Amino acid sequence: MLESEVHDLSDDADYAASQQQGSASMMLRSDSTKNSLREDAEIVFTKENVAIHPTQFASERISGRLKLIKQNSSLFMTWIPYKGNSSEARLSDDERNLYTIKAVSFTEIRSIRRHTPALAWPYIIVVLSSGLAYPPLYFYSGGVKEFLATIKQHVLLVRSEEDANVFLVNDFQNTLQRTLSSLELPRAVPIACGPSNLSVDESVLNENQGRADNDVNNGSFSAAQFHGRPSHKVDPARDLSINVLEKFSLVTKFARETTSQLFRENHSNGFSERRTHAQTNLDHHPRKSSHVEEKTSDESCVALDSQEFDNLSLVWGKPRQPPLGSGEWIIFLDSEGRVTDSEALRKRVFYGGLDHELRNEVWSLLLGYYPYESTYAEREFQKSVKKSEYENIKNQWQSISSAQAKRFTKFRERKGLIEKDVVRTDRSIPFYEGDDNPNVNILRDILLTYSFYNFDLGYCQGMSDLLSPILFVMDDESEAFWCFVALMERLGPNFNRDQNGMHSQLFALSKLVELLDSPLHNYFKQRDCLNYFFCFRWILIQFKREFEYEKTMRLWEVLWTHYPSEHLHLYLCVAILNRYRGKIIREEMDFDTLLKFINELSGHIDLDANLRDAEALCICAGENGAACIPPGTPPSLPVDDGSFYALQDEIL
Amino acid sequence: MSYAYLFKYIIIGDTGVGKSCLLLQFTDKRFQPVHDLTIGVEFGARMITIDNKPIKLQIWDTAGQESFRSITRSYYRGAAGALLVYDITRRETFNHLASWLEDARQHANANMTIMLIGNKCDLAHRRAVSTEEGEQFAKEHGLIFMEASAKTAQNVEEAFIKTAATIYKKIQDGVFDVSNESYGIKVGYGGIPGPSGGRDGPSAAAGGCCS
Repeated sequence: MLESEVHDLSDDADYAASQQQGSASMMLRSDSTKNSLREDAEIVFTKENVAIHPTQFASERISGRLKLIKQNSSLFMTWIPYKGNSSEARLSDDERNLYTIKAVSFTEIRSIRRHTPALAWPYIIVVLSSGLAYPPLYFYSGGVKEFLATIKQHVLLVRSEEDANVFLVNDFQNTLQRTLSSLELPRAVPIACGPSNLSVDESVLNENQGRADNDVNNGSFSAAQFHGRPSHKVDPARDLSINVLEKFSLVTKFARETTSQLFRENHSNGFSERRTHAQTNLDHHPRKSSHVEEKTSDESCVALDSQEFDNLSLVWGKPRQPPLGSGEWIIFLDSEGRVTDSEALRKRVFYGGLDHELRNEVWSLLLGYYPYESTYAEREFQKSVKKSEYENIKNQWQSISSAQAKRFTKFRERKGLIEKDVVRTDRSIPFYEGDDNPNVNILRDILLTYSFYNFDLGYCQGMSDLLSPILFVMDDESEAFWCFVALMERLGPNFNRDQNGMHSQLFALSKLVELLDSPLHNYFKQRDCLNYFFCFRWILIQFKREFEYEKTMRLWEVLWTHYPSEHLHLYLCVAILNRYRGKIIREEMDFDTLLKFINELSGHIDLDANLRDAEALCICAGENGAACIPPGTPPSLPVDDGSFYALQDEIL
Repeated sequence: MSYAYLFKYIIIGDTGVGKSCLLLQFTDKRFQPVHDLTIGVEFGARMITIDNKPIKLQIWDTAGQESFRSITRSYYRGAAGALLVYDITRRETFNHLASWLEDARQHANANMTIMLIGNKCDLAHRRAVSTEEGEQFAKEHGLIFMEASAKTAQNVEEAFIKTAATIYKKIQDGVFDVSNESYGIKVGYGGIPGPSGGRDGPSAAAGGCCS
């Protein structure tokens, strides 16, 4: 069975360390902590020597006591690590405490998966309704059966029809759902910092699954957080293996320093073993342990201590939410239309995006065209003022006679280029479809007007890609123009003739990968790929060509919140690259192959899952991440205001 | 799919001359007038047969705008062939050929085969560059030359294949060390030997192809 070949607990190691590294505020928010047991609770089951493994080495374990407690008619599970066990001295109390399970109610548990490998300790994985799981609990003194039997006495526990080792808790659903529920298991991930569900799908094949995953998340988040059941179709055989193999990528790297300090001495075997067998993009190594990098596939190594460790990754990015709808939107506004708490709004949009009908109103705020504190009336007023301002600038080029144009090469060239490009921009989108589509002409007019508004920058390919969704959303020439202007305030440097905006972002990206994914960085370095040109298109036009239209709009509004970072797009690059790292390295891609591979990811990137990863990376990189990004790197506003495009007048 | 050789091509030239359309015509045998403009680079591939040997062409279609030149230059690396395209109806695209050529000479390997293509020859009524001028330019710079139309498919197949034949000839003549991939040539495993036996070629390459 595939999963038995993939034994690696490094994720858990990183988990531990990462918790230390600065996510403390998040870590105690796990679902279980909110329950507190009263004195009258009755202990119905106790098992000593139940351990978790924070690393991939069996010697690194945290032992504790597992209990089932009944209070009134509810059953709870607790697992408390022992204090100060000398054989586990390397682990601090803090670390131990991270894993403590404080009274999780069985109403929150979806299922328990039992693993009884022949040559290793039996263990269970407890999966919550939210789709999350605790790290595997190893029964060093046996007792899994007894544990399950006890549960059965108190709550409804049924064996999954799909997998005899999966026991569904309180499962009243129909057979289909039960089946699907069991399929959720391998995708489940231990809880770190809140309910979420990380689906790490490396392959295109798995894309649908990733999406389905998100559906589950979205559906279960607000209304039925702890009872969300998957309702999607999956291909069991495929998903089981893919998920088991591929779900790990992200978290382990967050905490590399601490982890490597803790466990540096004995890594290498485990990792090459894992690469050899698992063939996944499993996570690798702490930044400081580059000595393992060279160890790739050709070694056969000592097997790990335990033969059947599920590779469970941690959850970091919060679950994506449903888009902000009009009912909720008005809550953010005062009676005169001011956004009272722009931070809260940005946060909300960051996590869920916007219903399409709200985009028109909210994009202009996110982009900074209208101030958050403006009233309805002020916005109306600004709209009319700006409209006439737009018409004035537009008139500047419209009034150029053909005789004048003959002596105005630059104008002719720009106009020619723009005219060539607008007819090659999103013509498959109904809004721009068909011959003589007026919207295509508006696209042209806005771009030409922009080239007069910012003559130094002018027009450059890629701008039409950025404008197209804005015009589609604003559906008003002047408003679209000014929103585009606002966007170009930040992204203009992407189109500088000397490409300095692009180079600074690609540079920052390389630094972030170095920080967050050193194996990949080292690989790129070795392959002379550190220019990151393969991410050029991603960055130039904010992933516009990588997602379908609707997803692009979703991504943009998320990015434009600048929450939690102005440079989330760079973390998104890291997240996506990380997801395919295993493949990139395994297939020994050179620059050409890599470029082609990245290009062909277009349309196959799971936006929500990668956004979660990006957020997680961003938060975990913290100040170190921010330090990778030089001041003024787009989309930050330029540092030296004024002559930013002074040298750009060669541009068309 | 197996191949005896893989050749990397790059298509360069001003924006809007029809680079992507040439590629699409060659790989998909269709003309799509509203193709999205190319950002960065796009890829296409097709198998052809030369001298009974299956040859895979991997074609890089680049963005034409001046501002992307610094990026485009990185794509030259390891290209065995280049299609340098201009638009016979737009004089300026012809005038810019020298600068494209300079880029190519500077950033590609010296033995890269360059095919000059005057595209859009179906629009003869709007012609702004004569065939003779194209020929002349090609002659002066040692390029192969053809006028073609991505729209009608005229000479498209020929342009790509003739370039490949030239590269193949260079291999036969020992111009390339095919084991050095910086020439833009990869030696494949040949797949099924051709009807002629597959081993009868004069080539050092054939001998080396399975090592």
